[in-house]
Amino acid sequence: MWRSTFTAFYRSFTRHPLYALLNLLGLSFGIAVFIALSLLYRFETGYESWSSERDTTYTIGGQYFFPGMPNDIFVGSMGGLLDELKTAYPHLEGTRDWNNSVTVHKGAEVYGEQIELVDGNYLSFFNVPLRHGDTKTALASPDSVAVSEEKARKYFGTIDAVGRTITLSDEEGRKTYVVSAVIRDLPKNTDMKMDFVRLLTKQRMSEESAWHKWGSVQLVTYFRFADPAQAAALQKQFPGFIDRQVGDRFGDDVTGSKIMALHLVPLADAHLIDPKQKAAIVSLGLVGVVALGLALINYINLATARAGLRAREVAVRKTLGARPGALRLQFLGEAALTLLLAFLIGLSLVELSLPAINAVGGLSLKLDYVSEGAWVAGLLAVVMAAGLVAAIYPAFALSAFKPAQVLASSRTPAGGRAGVRLREALVVMQFTTVVIAFVLMLGFTTQIDHMQKADLGFSREGLLLVNSTRYTAITDSQRDSYISAARALPHVKRVTIGNAIPGDQSSTSNSNIVRPGQTDSATASPTVNWSVVGPDYFQLLGTKLVAGRLFDVRYGGDQMWRTDEESREEGRVTNVVISRLTVKRMDYASPQAAIGQIARFANRQVRIVGVVEDMRFYHPTDEIQAKLYLFDAHPNNNPVTFVRYQGLSEPQMRAQLQQVWRRIAPDVPFESTSASANLDKYYKPERDRSNLFSIGAGIAALIGCIGLYGMAAFNTSRRVREIGLRKVLGASRGKVVGLLIGQFLRPVVVASGLAVPLAWLALRHWLSQFDDAIAISPWFFVAAIVGGLLIALGTVGGLALISASIEPGKALRHE
Amino acid sequence: MIELKHVSRLYRSDEIETTALHDITLTIRRGEFVAIMGPSGCGKSTLLNTLGTIDRPTSGQYLFDGTDLAQLPETGLAKHRAKHLGFIFQSFNLVDDLTIYENIELGLLYREGRKGSRRQAIEAAMDRVGIAHRARHFPHQLSGGQQQRAAIARAIVGEPDLILADEPTGNLDTENGAQVMDILRGLNAAGATIIMVTHSPSHADQATRRIDILDGQLVASVAQVL
Repeated sequence: MWRSTFTAFYRSFTRHPLYALLNLLGLSFGIAVFIALSLLYRFETGYESWSSERDTTYTIGGQYFFPGMPNDIFVGSMGGLLDELKTAYPHLEGTRDWNNSVTVHKGAEVYGEQIELVDGNYLSFFNVPLRHGDTKTALASPDSVAVSEEKARKYFGTIDAVGRTITLSDEEGRKTYVVSAVIRDLPKNTDMKMDFVRLLTKQRMSEESAWHKWGSVQLVTYFRFADPAQAAALQKQFPGFIDRQVGDRFGDDVTGSKIMALHLVPLADAHLIDPKQKAAIVSLGLVGVVALGLALINYINLATARAGLRAREVAVRKTLGARPGALRLQFLGEAALTLLLAFLIGLSLVELSLPAINAVGGLSLKLDYVSEGAWVAGLLAVVMAAGLVAAIYPAFALSAFKPAQVLASSRTPAGGRAGVRLREALVVMQFTTVVIAFVLMLGFTTQIDHMQKADLGFSREGLLLVNSTRYTAITDSQRDSYISAARALPHVKRVTIGNAIPGDQSSTSNSNIVRPGQTDSATASPTVNWSVVGPDYFQLLGTKLVAGRLFDVRYGGDQMWRTDEESREEGRVTNVVISRLTVKRMDYASPQAAIGQIARFANRQVRIVGVVEDMRFYHPTDEIQAKLYLFDAHPNNNPVTFVRYQGLSEPQMRAQLQQVWRRIAPDVPFESTSASANLDKYYKPERDRSNLFSIGAGIAALIGCIGLYGMAAFNTSRRVREIGLRKVLGASRGKVVGLLIGQFLRPVVVASGLAVPLAWLALRHWLSQFDDAIAISPWFFVAAIVGGLLIALGTVGGLALISASIEPGKALRHE
Repeated sequence: MIELKHVSRLYRSDEIETTALHDITLTIRRGEFVAIMGPSGCGKSTLLNTLGTIDRPTSGQYLFDGTDLAQLPETGLAKHRAKHLGFIFQSFNLVDDLTIYENIELGLLYREGRKGSRRQAIEAAMDRVGIAHRARHFPHQLSGGQQQRAAIARAIVGEPDLILADEPTGNLDTENGAQVMDILRGLNAAGATIIMVTHSPSHADQATRRIDILDGQLVASVAQVL
């Protein structure tokens, strides 16, 4: 019995190579897309899987309800939240991670790194895998530091670094630490960087003014709950807890829970906490499932079409005593072998194309059969199960042939009208998917192109951002000297300083702004995002002035307060510039109408002296924020230096700026990035996913073509005698070609009709996440349909031409 | 061995009803070589298919060694065919994708409870019809006569009680037709029961009994002396 199955499987390749190849190729491509996108889905949803404690760990997610501001849940919390929660709920087990910049000194060289200031239980809390050292004692001393394998190699040349010393400079000054542990390099899918980890001391906490300031965000807090019900129970108590702790911090009549919420987010969900990102990953996963579905539709189509050719074999077998059950088992066995082979080919295709997929998709996926053998086996099981379900119909169709009828007929049966309709319906489904995929591809690429070329309200080309001026180790005079020296460089056009930075939200704050006579309420007054900028800031960016004037160091009233006391001096009014959106939020009739107006901003008096155009600094899916700019001739609150240059390449400019930096601040590492690169971190994931989608959609289209070709080949071969007859009766070759092509264009036309509304809905849904979305063009649909038609035409046209060219005499003898 | 009692077979399409067999009553004893003759469309093949259980009578009784086959479900009929019957067709009906050896093997594949070496049985069947040298070939590589001999080997490899041959020489030239008839006669002489549909009076004359059918009815059943 099984030998018979193997023989039939083997012979299908040696005796019907075209059919077998089409079948196998379609399946293999579909399975390859399914495997690759499953791999991506697993990667994205598998963040922090390195920790054995992942499933019992929760992180604190914050959410604000300020008017006019986004209210997405984000990972992060106030520094002292853990202490306050533990005071209220002593049984809680938690830890926290505060990432900071640190300078590593190695001889005369300095390197900028990230360090995690953590609670003493951090390493054991997550059961962090160590190469050397002990998770329980590694952070016992404030003089110890744990380093990753990668950094141990970088700074010590070996991972055997426990006991060695390293000199670090950070907020606590320059100090030498003893390496107490070496942390195994974590996999790529982690948001928990652990290059350098040291103890967060009580003193450091006490020095942080905002440690217990509700509404601020400094670090990430984690809790452990053995039972999810415990987390849910605590979650329910958060609003009351916030109200008690916040008091009247947000205003006399405003309870804390109206302004903010805390969420216990399972660690496993933290990476994809942004619903838009999660939806993007789920969509890509669905593309994989659709590709597999298309491949299985192909399989059903080709198998049922070919069933007619096997009808005589079935009839003979039945005549010889084969029971329908045995025949079904044989056909399912053949399907299982085909699927298994297709899976192996699909897996090989993924292996071969992974480097390219990683490059195009900006990913670091890999297939590890040793550690992920069970997962690969699971994928195989899914493919086999789905494939065998798909194979049930052809197996039943085949085993249902009546031997007496088949043996009495000179023609092979085609499965009847129902079979033909089913195959047509499946082809329609395939092409509907292909046309939808084409429309989405066009929509995605156009939107991404639009995002990259869109007017952001400032010029991002030829703009370098020197982050080193943010280091606390930098003195005001060093900062001023650097700006002057940079300004003197020959290709530098302008230099400014500020903390409103394209692609970087780390130094911005939100506060209420109230017009005179309006109620000052955290829940009702407009909220603006504010930043401090230095001289020439708007001129350097090329920001368009809408009304009033820009900041000018010659106007004394432009200089912002240096201290809190100064800001609250009686009669003090500070000049501010606002953005066009702020004008709207504050309900002024026009930008001009806002000029000269006094408002209350963060409990201080401000005067609006200028209105500038809105600038898009952040993620394209984020709404533009209403901005307020304060002016400081010498900003010292972590400002970045902006350098506008011309006539030099970026690396050349960077090298010159670095040279100047080393002269002025040799103890602080030089760090710079271009504005374009900084913004690209928002665009790249969208671009990468669009690329991956396009590859998946392209392969889906290819699978559709393979299916269409297979169907065309089958149907045309069945019609050879009919073609001969038509030609005998006087039909020209062109007429016959038209007839054959028309038969196949019909389902494609129907599919196009179905695809248009579905594609429109899908594209509209996707575009709705962007703040600056393109309009859906009818050309997307026209191009997709024409593309689909051309592909169908190309696929069946050649076959039709060959079939129509057969001599009538020969065609009439065709069996 | 076989008793047909008042067997009829009707075919119904949307508007037309055709009587292929009408009230056939027939007995065939073990060891007989029966030739069924009649003009095209008279119901010969329907009768043979009914005897071969790949077509069910609309009414009447079909007893095989006393068992009423009309009462058996599809799986029971499949089992019956595998155990008791061997088929030979006019157009050979060898499976294109299987070698001659594998085609003959099909005759054993669905037969349960059979003892002895499968290979030996296949080789013996091939030797008996003189096709052993073509074992590894595919059907399309053989002449019509060779293909029919392979089909006969497939029919006899399971040593069935009854061989049903539907115009076994219909697609063959005179020489190959004569060879096939020699084989069938030999098998009958060795004890096999054979029922053969044929258009050829000379081939029918080689049977031990001749049955004539006209318009679905049995018109004559004549024992022949060889």
